[in-house]
Amino acid sequence: MLSGPKAGDRVLVAMSGGVDSSVAAALLVEQGCDVVGVTMKLHDDGVDVPDRPCCSLDSTSDARRVCERLGVPHYVLNLADRFGQDVLDDFVREYARGRTPIPCVRCNTFTKFRDLLVKADAIDAHWIATGHYARTGVVNGSRALLRGLDPNKDQSYFLWGIERPVLDRMVLPVGHQTKPETREIARRFGLRTAEKIESQDICFVPDGNHARVLEEHLGANAPALTRGPLRLESGETVGEHEGFARYTIGQRRGLPGGFAEPMFVVDILPSERAVVIGPREALLGRGLEARELNWLSDTPAVGARVQVQVRHRAKPVPATVVRLDGDEIELALEEGVNAITPGQSLVLFDNEHVLGGGVIERGMRGSEPAVSRRVGLPILA
Amino acid sequence: MTTPVYLDHAATTPVRDEVMAAMLPYFGPRFGNPSSVHRWGREARVALDEAREKLAGCLGAHPDEVCFTSGGTEGDNFAILGAFRTLRARGRIAAVTTPSEHKAILAAVHEVAREGGEERMVGVTSNGLVDDASFTRCLDERVAVASVMWVNNETGVIQDVPRLAAQVKTAGALFHTDAVQAFGKVPIDARAVPFDLLTISGHKIGAPKGIGALFIRRGTPLEPLMHGGSQDRGRRPGTENVAFAVGLATAAELLIAEHEMEGARLTRLRDSLEAALRERISDVVIHGAGAPRAPHIVNMSIPGTDAESMLMALDLRGVACSAGSACQSGSVSASHVLTAMGVPAPIANAALRLSLGCLSDEACVMRVADLLGTLSAKARGSFATAF
Repeated sequence: MLSGPKAGDRVLVAMSGGVDSSVAAALLVEQGCDVVGVTMKLHDDGVDVPDRPCCSLDSTSDARRVCERLGVPHYVLNLADRFGQDVLDDFVREYARGRTPIPCVRCNTFTKFRDLLVKADAIDAHWIATGHYARTGVVNGSRALLRGLDPNKDQSYFLWGIERPVLDRMVLPVGHQTKPETREIARRFGLRTAEKIESQDICFVPDGNHARVLEEHLGANAPALTRGPLRLESGETVGEHEGFARYTIGQRRGLPGGFAEPMFVVDILPSERAVVIGPREALLGRGLEARELNWLSDTPAVGARVQVQVRHRAKPVPATVVRLDGDEIELALEEGVNAITPGQSLVLFDNEHVLGGGVIERGMRGSEPAVSRRVGLPILA
Repeated sequence: MTTPVYLDHAATTPVRDEVMAAMLPYFGPRFGNPSSVHRWGREARVALDEAREKLAGCLGAHPDEVCFTSGGTEGDNFAILGAFRTLRARGRIAAVTTPSEHKAILAAVHEVAREGGEERMVGVTSNGLVDDASFTRCLDERVAVASVMWVNNETGVIQDVPRLAAQVKTAGALFHTDAVQAFGKVPIDARAVPFDLLTISGHKIGAPKGIGALFIRRGTPLEPLMHGGSQDRGRRPGTENVAFAVGLATAAELLIAEHEMEGARLTRLRDSLEAALRERISDVVIHGAGAPRAPHIVNMSIPGTDAESMLMALDLRGVACSAGSACQSGSVSASHVLTAMGVPAPIANAALRLSLGCLSDEACVMRVADLLGTLSAKARGSFATAF
């Protein structure tokens, strides 16, 4: 059995004000842990939206009231400066480069499981808990990150970036249950967050309109937000778009009709402000490169077979490590994968076990397995 | 578990037993509306007038110069906006203040600018005192009102209000002072010092939250904030909060009666707290230490720590104090007061305000000094390894 917090151990619980982290706190209190709830203030109150599921004043109040109900202290921690640098600025930069970032990954890596850990140290909390649907366990004698048991909720995809030693301090109390079970536990504890709607949006993009956030930071006249050519893969211009940062690979919405088959965004070329569109099969990738690698297990060898996931909720596919170069990796996929998108995360699994991950640099198309073309040809940026 | 220690009297204080007892009848048998003509009304009206008289006595004021408000923020807004909105017709459109004021003043002065007036910020020295040359430069015939807090709520620094008030009067403008933290800590006498407007608040002195008063010198023109009935000479319409007014007056009289002894007691406590801190933390920074300070506030930074973590660690050990300015969500950001004094960000981010009062004694002060010593050693140890 893996060792988690024991009764009496102090656990800092990151509470967004949602049901998952509320229940995480409640379960730890029930276990007899010395729970300290904290809500991170990550951006200005200026953009406060009432009823937003997380990061709003209402959500902070919910977290505070849940803690009061559980009889544990609650604090609000201002991590806005660091979050701004590590997460928000990167989000803006990535879109400006024609990529599609996942701010939640960086928030987990740099904010929740790094900056918040320093706060945990300050109050002698060895453990840090969140409401993520993922699990920790032991694989080959080492602490390991595992998928959540509920395949519909599994959030392990977003956690690949944390430093490996953090696994020894991480507690994920809801990772063993399904969302309906979590709600049931919340009701049992009488928590006000039991029926709260789930947040699907990025916390600093409450209305889902990420272009508005980009406008605030880049200005409405930024190249990424202004008109550019819509092209076919042949290079032929077939129309205009309203700014490439409004598009992501695989997107269909907002593209003109009138083609023989449905068209999708297949590439974004920021230097030419161009958005390239093509038919569905043009989205299919058989290989990919990723950077900023982080390992939560021992580094696999070139030639190792793993499963990879290139998007949240995507089906994992078998793949082979073709090249491994410091913090860069290249993989050959054994079956075609749709819409491999620069900026999204590549996560490597061994079944349930999260081996590590990186940020996708580019997908490689073609029907041939990438391995046959690429082996022995290292590409250096 | 050791007994909790409350060192946040500048934030708020418990209602005193005597105050509670004085207020109680006005929630029950003497519930009348002071504007009513019947005996219940008369009873309430008399109680209100008596409260006004008592409070006036505590300020060296005439009873008609006391206007009850909901607290410090209303008093400050009434003073600044009321003065500006009245005097703008005479071409006096500027509001002068310092960057180390309470948010109530800063926001009201900002509103003046939004309404077409002018906001003028006076510089402060590294000790938090008004910079004289800068103050003089800001005063001219276009100034409607100048406002300088008597005792700073974060640092306890005492401004030379008698001199500043006289200077503003000479310039023909109104002078306001936020005396929320000064009341009971420095002598306030409206007959001796020429301020026109002065704000006090109940809950800092053992009266409830939600009551305060604005001293308005006779003949001072002041446009009301709210419009309605003729209560308080039309200055502050709305049915008066009789019970709380009685509470405020009771607390004020107790405060003045005890002022000397309590002041001496707090000064001793403050001095031993600071000495104990300096002994345990050799590089502790005490803000405003070079200026005259009220005895109940110690604002200190332990270099290499962050206030947010310290507040948590202290609270988890039963010690309550505060840091910077609390925002609505309850998180902490660097103090605008310390920033105005030129305190570098890492030191400002480490600042804790320990404020003494009725619940403080020698034992709790020493306990906090010991605890801060331990926490600072620990925090700086862990920071050294973390980065």
